[in-house]
Amino acid sequence: MASPLAVSRPFSRLKSGSSRVVVVDNLSKRFGPFWALRGASFSIHPGEILGLIGPNGSGKSTLFDCLAGIAPATHGTVSVDNETVPPGDRKNILYFVPDGIRPWPDQTVGWVLQFAGGVHGAASSAVADVMRALGLQPLRGARLHELSKGEHRRVMLGIGLLTPHPLLMLDEPFDGLDLRQTRDVMSVLKDARSGGRTLFLSIHGLGDAARICDRLVLLSSGAIVGEGTLDELRAKAKLASGGLEEVFLALT
Amino acid sequence: MPSPESKAPNGHTNAASTWRWLIEKELRELTASRSYWLLLLVIGALVGHAFINSVEIYAEASGSAGGPAALSQGLSPLEGIVVPILGAYDLAATLLFPFVVIRLVAGDKETGALALMLQAPSRFGASVVAKGIALVAAWIIAGTAGGIALVLWRTMGGHLYAPETSTVLLGHLLRGLLTIGVAAAAGALAASAASAAIIALTVTLGTWALDYVAAARGGAIEAIAQYTPSAALRVFEHGELRVSTVLVLFTLAIGGLAIAAAWMQEGRALSRRLLGVIGIVAGVAVATTLFANVRASRDVSEDRRNSFPAADEAALHAIDQPLTVTVYLAAEDPRLVDLDRGVLAKLRRVMKRVTVVYAAQGRSGLFEKPDEHYGEVYYELGGKTAMSRSSTQEIVLETIYELAGRPPPKPIDEAAYHGYPLRAQPTGGPWVFFVAWPLVVMAAWWWVNKPKISRLRSFGE
Repeated sequence: MASPLAVSRPFSRLKSGSSRVVVVDNLSKRFGPFWALRGASFSIHPGEILGLIGPNGSGKSTLFDCLAGIAPATHGTVSVDNETVPPGDRKNILYFVPDGIRPWPDQTVGWVLQFAGGVHGAASSAVADVMRALGLQPLRGARLHELSKGEHRRVMLGIGLLTPHPLLMLDEPFDGLDLRQTRDVMSVLKDARSGGRTLFLSIHGLGDAARICDRLVLLSSGAIVGEGTLDELRAKAKLASGGLEEVFLALT
Repeated sequence: MPSPESKAPNGHTNAASTWRWLIEKELRELTASRSYWLLLLVIGALVGHAFINSVEIYAEASGSAGGPAALSQGLSPLEGIVVPILGAYDLAATLLFPFVVIRLVAGDKETGALALMLQAPSRFGASVVAKGIALVAAWIIAGTAGGIALVLWRTMGGHLYAPETSTVLLGHLLRGLLTIGVAAAAGALAASAASAAIIALTVTLGTWALDYVAAARGGAIEAIAQYTPSAALRVFEHGELRVSTVLVLFTLAIGGLAIAAAWMQEGRALSRRLLGVIGIVAGVAVATTLFANVRASRDVSEDRRNSFPAADEAALHAIDQPLTVTVYLAAEDPRLVDLDRGVLAKLRRVMKRVTVVYAAQGRSGLFEKPDEHYGEVYYELGGKTAMSRSSTQEIVLETIYELAGRPPPKPIDEAAYHGYPLRAQPTGGPWVFFVAWPLVVMAAWWWVNKPKISRLRSFGE
């Protein structure tokens, strides 16, 4: 009998830097009579930073929850290399840091990051690297409930970066950060991509999305209304020029 | 920045290391909770109060306040000291410990930590097991106060009989485990910690109602009521190590944790989680039914209060025919209590097949009519029936031997239990439990939760 602590499947199907694409097909979620997600289909390419943008209540967090397998989808599949990955196995290919959670409020920043690294098998040097990269060293001894929103956001990002998953999904990673911190975190995320990590970010700030994302997925009322680079989306919106804001307004 | 490749090869983690992290996390969460420290403070006061009271009463019964000399004969530390002192843990397991458990389980849901733990490389069940291990450790640490009380009793010259004392301790350990199981299931099933607390207390009230309703009813309801927390604990407190009780309590506790693990996997469809819980409940029902039929039990009391004399035990065990006892005594009739504890419980332990039918209709026995046989007890064995109104052990045994057509066995010389009277005063008790214990608990709380290096100092460096 397998140990309850053993990873049920190794990370063989989505090696960092591989050419394998994650395909999301017809992902839907219903709460009673309300469809929060309606047949969302798109793909995530290896090594890219994919942005999920959409108005408030468009279903971004629901999409992430269902994709990560921490909430059951009503319909839909996620597959890698034409092989369907059941919800229970998704934690083997991706890691999701939700927005709005305040876990372990009485523990210190240092311990929480050591715990995240320890549980996911990260080297202790990786914890120090992440703390340094995110500017968390001065907060090492602070308890999580003492942190500001932006500081807490960086700790959550640190947890995500300490996991070994090649695909990392972050819900609103820049929310609560000031301009300098946003630029620093963007730099950290770009470094992570350079290291072979694929990132899927939900971002409500269109300026931030345009600066960091290679491609974008537009969600409106639970449905995907566009997917591609800014140029591709501009073409879909039939706009000759204009930035992401104009495209967003035209498509949503 | 570390790349994913710098992590553990293939994302595999060492099982021992993961267990260590999971258990450390739960212990840290537990010791960060004020509810646990409050439990420790309160348990010290409860144990201290019980210790002082029971030692004083024991001294009085031992003749410190005069009275007949015969009163102190047969005085047992089991019921005079051990049971009342450790009884504080029954109160704690009922009214305090559930909240500690619920905080640990429901806290993950309320803070969002559950979303991260569901994605941990280990199976989610391991997280729940780690919670269970941390909570058992917490319960054992809380047991230190009771241990200190027993040590104090020994230093005062008091007597303890290891088998019966350790059996009562086992009973309280299982009582704590049962609380962990029930409260963990409540914490997982309810939407909030407050709702979980209401569920846990409702279960407790339900078991109290079951205890009341099932008394002297017989049949399935009485069989179930043997495993309510109070009834199960009474078995251990009476110096009996009953295998069925141990197995049933353990199964119920594990079942509760399994329900928590199944229900908290929020990535699974509601119907699947519901089926999982129903499956666990069915499995627990089957297992407990099977375990309830295990007859093995041992009288570990020093005064052999759960046993007949050895010669009678051997003679009764040799009777293969089923014995049916029909009792016309109401639940609140003290004669029934005497008969149940002094005779029927022992018969159930010794004879191979015993069925007891409680035939009285009323609860108090005050309104029974003369033609309803009230006060009579019928014994049926091998097609023969005899009636007796006695609840005395010797007379009941004589009746059974007559029905079986066997002469009463010749008595075997057995060492008589002379009791352990002790006229001592609990002089150190108040200092230990009302001064030293709270100070130690508060110091431990400060040490565990002391402020870490502040951010201001770090910024200033």
